Amino acid sequence: MNKRADMSLSERLATWARLKSPWITIFNSGACNACDIEIIATLTPRFDVERFGILAKGSPRHADILIVTGPVTRKQAPRLRRIYEQMPEPKYVIAMGACGGHGGVFQGLYHVMNAVDDVVPVDVFVAGCPPRPDEIINAVVETLRLLGEDADHGGKEWRKNLPVKPAGEEQKAEVSA
Amino acid sequence: MSNQLTFDQVKAVLGGYGPVEQVRWNRIQVVTAVEKARDAVRSAFEDLTCERLVQMSVADLGTAFQLTYHLTGLHRTVISVRIEVPREDPKIPSVHDLLPPAGIYERQIHDLFGIDFPGHPNLARIILNEDWPAKEYPLRKDWKPVKGTFYGGIMEVK
Repeated sequence: MNKRADMSLSERLATWARLKSPWITIFNSGACNACDIEIIATLTPRFDVERFGILAKGSPRHADILIVTGPVTRKQAPRLRRIYEQMPEPKYVIAMGACGGHGGVFQGLYHVMNAVDDVVPVDVFVAGCPPRPDEIINAVVETLRLLGEDADHGGKEWRKNLPVKPAGEEQKAEVSA
Repeated sequence: MSNQLTFDQVKAVLGGYGPVEQVRWNRIQVVTAVEKARDAVRSAFEDLTCERLVQMSVADLGTAFQLTYHLTGLHRTVISVRIEVPREDPKIPSVHDLLPPAGIYERQIHDLFGIDFPGHPNLARIILNEDWPAKEYPLRKDWKPVKGTFYGGIMEVK
């Protein structure tokens, strides 16, 4: 079933443009800056993701993909939530590094929420402390695969009916209890 | 530097507040009591020209809180005024009016250790998030997060 044929011309054009040139925005939710340095390395001439069409934007209102670094401190959690809610649909979140995945070295401390997944829904996790620039590029490409799939199915809703739950669901439930 | 304070100079001024000890080549420590702490800091400030506060540090010893004022000045000798604040009813007069930078340290210590500083004009939260529950002091050794308590932030509803 491909719902892309049912889209209007402008929607199809927008989806095509999004897949060719995703705009990303970066949010530091209490990281040690190593991840941010790797993101800067991704943007600067050595890796130069702009040649693939990946463009870093300053405003979440212009972005398709949000890259979150850090374990999300309790003070930053409402700000992260607000930035996520400012993004236009379809929006995708990449949680970066060991901290973004499960808290990393900050796990269980009094001032962190433990994971980006506890505050906003995450689509792609990048492992590493910090992840290398090529892994960040790979994560963006993976996100584009999800974006294309969701465009085929007419939105993100179909993922809820998938038979296999995302890994770590039970663990997450225990943390938030 | 030749204008360092000597041990005898410091002992002459601060000897009345408690035992004085040379702990490092440029650090002299005086151990005093809670009620004499403000006077000791004032004396170091006025008589030893320690007009700079390097830091206020706290350690939780289990039996008491070890509060230390690290003071220095142009003589570049560090004077440590050390006080053991009792764990039950931890309270020590503020030195914010003598040394304005102390105010921000006192707010941090009040946040994280729960030591009260009477005389401080605005002992509000500074480190912890605004919705942190009251009477929870995370840097105390016996503190453990209580299961089921919401410590602030936002939880994703799953």
